[in-house]
Amino acid sequence: MRRVAIVGAGQSKYGEFPEKGIKELFFEAYKDMASSVDKNFDPKQIESAYVGNLGSGGFQLGNMSALVAEYVGLPYIHTVRVENACASGGYALVAAVMDVMSGAHKMVLAGGVEKMTDVSGMKQKYWLGVSGDTEYERLAGTTFAGLYALIAHRHMHEFGTKREHLSMVAVKNHKNGAQNPKAQFQREIQLEQAMKAPIVAYPLNLFDCCSTTDGASSLLVCDAEVAKQFTDTPIYITGFGTSSDYLAIHDRINTVTLEGTKRASQHAYKMAGLTAKDIQLAEVHDCFTIAELLAYEDLGFCEKGKAGQFIEEGHTKIDGDKPVNASGGLKSKGHPIGSTGTGQAYEMFNQLRGTVQKPIRQVKGIEKGLVHNVGGSGGTVSVSIMER
Amino acid sequence: MAHVSVPMYWRTIPQRYQMMGQKCKKCGAVNFPPKGVCKYCNASSEFEELQLSGKGKVHTFVLIGAGGAPPEFADQMKAGGSYPVAIVELAEGPKVIGQMTDVNPKDVKMGMPVKAELKKIYTEEGVIRYGFKFAPDLEGK
Ligand SMILES: CC(C)(COP(=O)(O)OP(=O)(O)OC[C@H]1O[C@@H](n2cnc3c(N)ncnc32)[C@H](O)[C@@H]1OP(=O)(O)O)[C@@H](O)C(=O)NCCC(=O)NCCS
Ligand SMILES: [Zn+2]
Repeated sequence: MRRVAIVGAGQSKYGEFPEKGIKELFFEAYKDMASSVDKNFDPKQIESAYVGNLGSGGFQLGNMSALVAEYVGLPYIHTVRVENACASGGYALVAAVMDVMSGAHKMVLAGGVEKMTDVSGMKQKYWLGVSGDTEYERLAGTTFAGLYALIAHRHMHEFGTKREHLSMVAVKNHKNGAQNPKAQFQREIQLEQAMKAPIVAYPLNLFDCCSTTDGASSLLVCDAEVAKQFTDTPIYITGFGTSSDYLAIHDRINTVTLEGTKRASQHAYKMAGLTAKDIQLAEVHDCFTIAELLAYEDLGFCEKGKAGQFIEEGHTKIDGDKPVNASGGLKSKGHPIGSTGTGQAYEMFNQLRGTVQKPIRQVKGIEKGLVHNVGGSGGTVSVSIMER
Repeated sequence: MAHVSVPMYWRTIPQRYQMMGQKCKKCGAVNFPPKGVCKYCNASSEFEELQLSGKGKVHTFVLIGAGGAPPEFADQMKAGGSYPVAIVELAEGPKVIGQMTDVNPKDVKMGMPVKAELKKIYTEEGVIRYGFKFAPDLEGK
């Protein structure tokens, strides 16, 4: 099978942009990607595009991949909208990688876009919640905050994880996000402030939750054989894995493990010939603070039940021995659903090449990174390993 | 804002009104809510119907606060404030999610015995939807 590289990556600003729709947001990311290609970029070589998207701001549910592709000057190619809730972008990347690996196409776009702020808060919650189990979870009166709260509470009960541990995730990620010019919330928060924020779904409060965000991202994925025509420093995708799980949390054997994360990462490590120890930076799916703690455990960075201690000891800070979410994570950077997965890869691309916009956020001299994207409460998960 | 249509709801009435579970003929485990193929052995779709007792214990719970309720539960939130939702481990084995009822949210505890009761869940498209909620089981241990 063909080896696969990324030779360009772009991201729009994340935030609330009344003046931009999915087309304009996607174009912003696309142009940013085009300008990141060091040499010989030619849009005519792009043969297919995979676009992660959940709701399109409620206005273009069908055929949106064709729409955003033609808008940026890519008509008449193979386009597919990829929908796996919050993991849509991660799966769009995997689809692009498989496309290139198979030899079907040499030059492929993987991207994602979401427009979340066009609709009222109530409507957002209406369609956000429908990526969980609608027949039971939703009818019990929960949205995602409630589902992750169920997991968090059980984690606290079983392992003694503390309220502070959850807030430490938010504080760390806001600190990194404050240095990210493309993040939605570019401000630091204090631990006490994070602990005292208004309750959304006890034990989770406002500062345990990601926000609602507009944004897009775009990657240029190609056959490794031609990668050097575009840059001297391509980033290789050396492993990937995906796994589904029971959609409803109550159907899962273990409430405090995302089995999808475990399985997806095991596939990815095996394919790349690496273990969790080799990963020098990870962008993980912290849609709620508990999700980042679960990721530490289920990706194998620490033992099951020890994530609270792991964050407390500072391992995952930007200058720790296992930095996580240098971008600010979903918590501070924002979570434009369909864009999140390819947005994580955008950060990793720049981290591995040493081209992060603000040097303070740059993790120095790293060669191996992991990106981890979760759909809903874990119904779908993708993991990709990127190497310099 | 229909999201579970009336016909869709009607199809699930045996599970919602009577808590009708499925006992796998191959491995003997009890599935609830129902599956096409047994989720324990993934090898059989032959089941016996089993009427569940509705009794169980709180495995984990959340108190849904402002901002955490789906729009169709906003009225309930407005009228009654924060409400508890639990995953209950049923006596027959399976876990299931449900709202708690007849309890002060402050009194909900991990492991507390509960029993299912048929209650009004919410009204959608002008039709009242009934289903089970969990109340403290004072005789349970
Ligand atoms: C957390 C949540 C419930 C808050 O919604 P809300 O109560 O309607 O809050 P608002 O959007 O009105 O925001 C209130 C304030 O808090 C700020 N804020 C909102 N979310 C925030 C967050 N996650 N972190 C920090 N600040 C936040 C807003 O900027 C706003 O500040 P302002 O009043 O100064 O403008 C909502 O953002 C949400 O549902 N998030 C989860 C999204 C989701 O489920 N995604 C899929 C995950 S799997
Ligand atoms: Zn069975």
